[in-house]
Amino acid sequence: MTQFKKPKPLVSEEQQKASSSQEEETRRTALTTQTSTKAVMTLEERETQLSSIFHKSSDLNFKYISFDKWARRLLFVNLETSSDVKLVQEQIINPLFELGETITPDTFHLIIEAETTIEAEFNTASGLLLDGKTLIFIEGYDVFYAASTAATYKRDIVEPTNERVIRGAHDGFIEDLTTNITMLRKRIKSPKLVVKYFTVGKETHSKGAIIYMEGIANQEIVQKVEHRISCIDSDSVLTPGNIIESIEDHPYSPFPQIMDTERPDRAAGNLMEGRIVVMSALSPMASIMPANFFSFYQSSDDYNTRWLLGSFFRFIRIFSFFTALGFPAVYIAVVSYHFEVIPSGMVLAIKSSLENIPYPPLIEAMIMELTIELIREASIRLPSPIGQTIAIVGGLVIGDAVVSAGLVSNMMIIVVAITAISAYIVPSSEMSEAVRIIRFPLMVLAGTLGFIGIVIGFMVLFIHLTKLTSFGTPFFSPVAPLRMQNLRDTFIRLPFWKLNQRPLDAKPQKLRQENRSRKWEEEEDEE
Amino acid sequence: MKNNSITPRQLFFVIIQTQIGVGILSLPFTLFTKAKTDGWMSVMIAGVLIQFVILMIWLLMKRFPGSTLYDVIPLLIGPAAGKVLNALYTIHFIFVSVLILMYFHQITGRWIFPETPKWVMISCVALTSGYLITSSARIIARFFIIMTPLLIVLFLLIAYSYTDAHLLYILPVGVHGMKNVLVGTQDATVALLGFDAALVFFAYTNGKPEKKLKAVSLAALCVTLFYTYVTFTTFIYFNSEEIIIVPEPVLYMLKAFSFKVIERTDLVFMSLWLVSVATSFMSYLFIAAKGVQSVLKLKHHKKTIPYLVFTSIILATIPKSNLQIQQWGKYISLSGIIFTIPIICLLLIIAVARKKQGGNAQYEK
Repeated sequence: MTQFKKPKPLVSEEQQKASSSQEEETRRTALTTQTSTKAVMTLEERETQLSSIFHKSSDLNFKYISFDKWARRLLFVNLETSSDVKLVQEQIINPLFELGETITPDTFHLIIEAETTIEAEFNTASGLLLDGKTLIFIEGYDVFYAASTAATYKRDIVEPTNERVIRGAHDGFIEDLTTNITMLRKRIKSPKLVVKYFTVGKETHSKGAIIYMEGIANQEIVQKVEHRISCIDSDSVLTPGNIIESIEDHPYSPFPQIMDTERPDRAAGNLMEGRIVVMSALSPMASIMPANFFSFYQSSDDYNTRWLLGSFFRFIRIFSFFTALGFPAVYIAVVSYHFEVIPSGMVLAIKSSLENIPYPPLIEAMIMELTIELIREASIRLPSPIGQTIAIVGGLVIGDAVVSAGLVSNMMIIVVAITAISAYIVPSSEMSEAVRIIRFPLMVLAGTLGFIGIVIGFMVLFIHLTKLTSFGTPFFSPVAPLRMQNLRDTFIRLPFWKLNQRPLDAKPQKLRQENRSRKWEEEEDEE
Repeated sequence: MKNNSITPRQLFFVIIQTQIGVGILSLPFTLFTKAKTDGWMSVMIAGVLIQFVILMIWLLMKRFPGSTLYDVIPLLIGPAAGKVLNALYTIHFIFVSVLILMYFHQITGRWIFPETPKWVMISCVALTSGYLITSSARIIARFFIIMTPLLIVLFLLIAYSYTDAHLLYILPVGVHGMKNVLVGTQDATVALLGFDAALVFFAYTNGKPEKKLKAVSLAALCVTLFYTYVTFTTFIYFNSEEIIIVPEPVLYMLKAFSFKVIERTDLVFMSLWLVSVATSFMSYLFIAAKGVQSVLKLKHHKKTIPYLVFTSIILATIPKSNLQIQQWGKYISLSGIIFTIPIICLLLIIAVARKKQGGNAQYEK
């Protein structure tokens, strides 16, 4: 136990063991027989048992402490990799050595500064150690103390890189559950905000929390979430993705039915809509359920800009869904089957750029789309200075070279570029990934059946969206089923004081969310 | 029943989407061959007629709340005969779906893809539809509602022809004789078929019976007006010598339009029209699936869908020439009229005469 600094009064272990050999032994046996009928384990027995539980893991520390005038020894046990060394030193060891001479082992827990509980079951010891606690056994006693000395390491709270906003809060969740929940609590200061911890993973014992607003969130859905999480039967649950995949309604759908966010304001907003947030202990991701299609297209920015602009941005985003999905497909269909659709003024421009291309439009588009995907993947993995280089080499050099080499037409580059930009407009990365994947089958359909293929593709897509559910609630609400009242916050965003009702798709217990925030208008008119 | 029911509003859209289908493209031509420029009046008369049929259907189904036609028939004419009639109805509905597929291919084959094998086009629509109708009536209704804005686009595209229309073409009104108009009414009724979906969809609708009637009757009214509008528009766009040589006047009309951003509007129109065709097909196949379910006493109609889809694909590929398709069309239209008007009338009379009311027929799933 090298981390324990040893001030003067400490009698070294060897000395102490040697000196108090005979008397100690007799006294201890006397005490045990007095206190309980059951034989109390000696400290050494406890040490061997614990180290066998942990398979002689090297980071399990044992430390015997005793003072001259004490009758009993103390055994400190902790996992040096789970507990905070500094905390142990400052809150347990230092007070002990300052006051050690004045107290006895029976009363020593009073001087421990860390939060301490009294535990009776030796079986729980391994779990407590894994939580980072320091266990203190007293010779001859059956009960023991557990002091909270868990190591916490936190990174700074920064804005999540994949969900930036122009206006509004710039904080993001971090890899610490308590801090994350604090951020939510700060936003929603209500006793109705309920946090329920859970543990999943038989070996990893990963902690997580279900958070919801009592009285707003639908109880049936809350129970559904709790039940589905309790059903997870796996050795390891390391990422929130593991939880999401185990609990979502349609695992084979390309669309995410649970929304992830790293933004506390987004999570808080969704909590207030009656949705449920599930967080994992070591992840900055908050999973929001039940999600609907349009919530993936909402951003905190919309609510911080004037509603007219907010509506415009919303509209642009929904529009981007269609361009990202359908633009290459429509282009392929037009140039390979329906050339007559192009108005006469443009025919020449398109025809001349296509004339010398050796490949059919479908292949051409596939090549370019795949190139874009390659560049994207590469620039994520590379460190940021090189990433920019790759973007320039990939985007500009390749783009320019393929055209001058005559492999791909100018038009196709324009189409692919617009499509790529459209795909990144979606505020949620999972939805943008879903859109990118679905684009390919649509392109193939357009390349084989023209407009008919595109229509068939979109029909299948919309049928799928209509059929999808998220925790039993319709995913494509408020369009299917059509709910006029809820359309106020989908394609457009009406002013805050017009959004009187919560979205119906999460089946909130309390529908009304806003009354007459602008009633002062009437009052002023009267004056 | 709880997760399965639809609202009267959804019923309205289901009926609209079922009614508007293949007929829209060729109806003006058919009517013109029968009643010349008075053809649009045939649609109006047919519209009035189907309002009565709807009333009849409603009177019949009102007696048995929560039951489909397939539950009602055995109650009225006995289990054995009921089963036979149910099977006949099912077969009829399958053939209506097949007819939709055949007409669809006939037109797309002529206008866009003359070389594409028949089964490819047909299976595209049939498989897509099969994917939808495995689910409940509620999901179907939701999907139909999403697809309804496309009808407005169709409406507006056709409206553009008024920039180049001549009202004189429609004149003189009523000169071709009432007889011809009535002959045309039969074709118009066939084109307006689709309200018979109410025979099954009434059972899934929540709400007061009056509201259901209102929904269906309003839907039929809207469709009648839409068809009248389409017919009327084509009649004032083409003169009587032109229209006789264009079997799909709507498309020929749109073909002539050209906008600054898009030429050949007919191709866009056809792509959107495909959705209307598919929705009609979905409705009929769903009804047929319900029929199979009740005849074979299955728990859920889901299992019948793959068989029905493949049967309809195979049946729709059988007729090779246009002449054969016409023959099929003639028979199926005839059966459409027989199964929706006289038989329903008969069933209603039996129900009234025998004072049958629906008590035990509680429909599930």
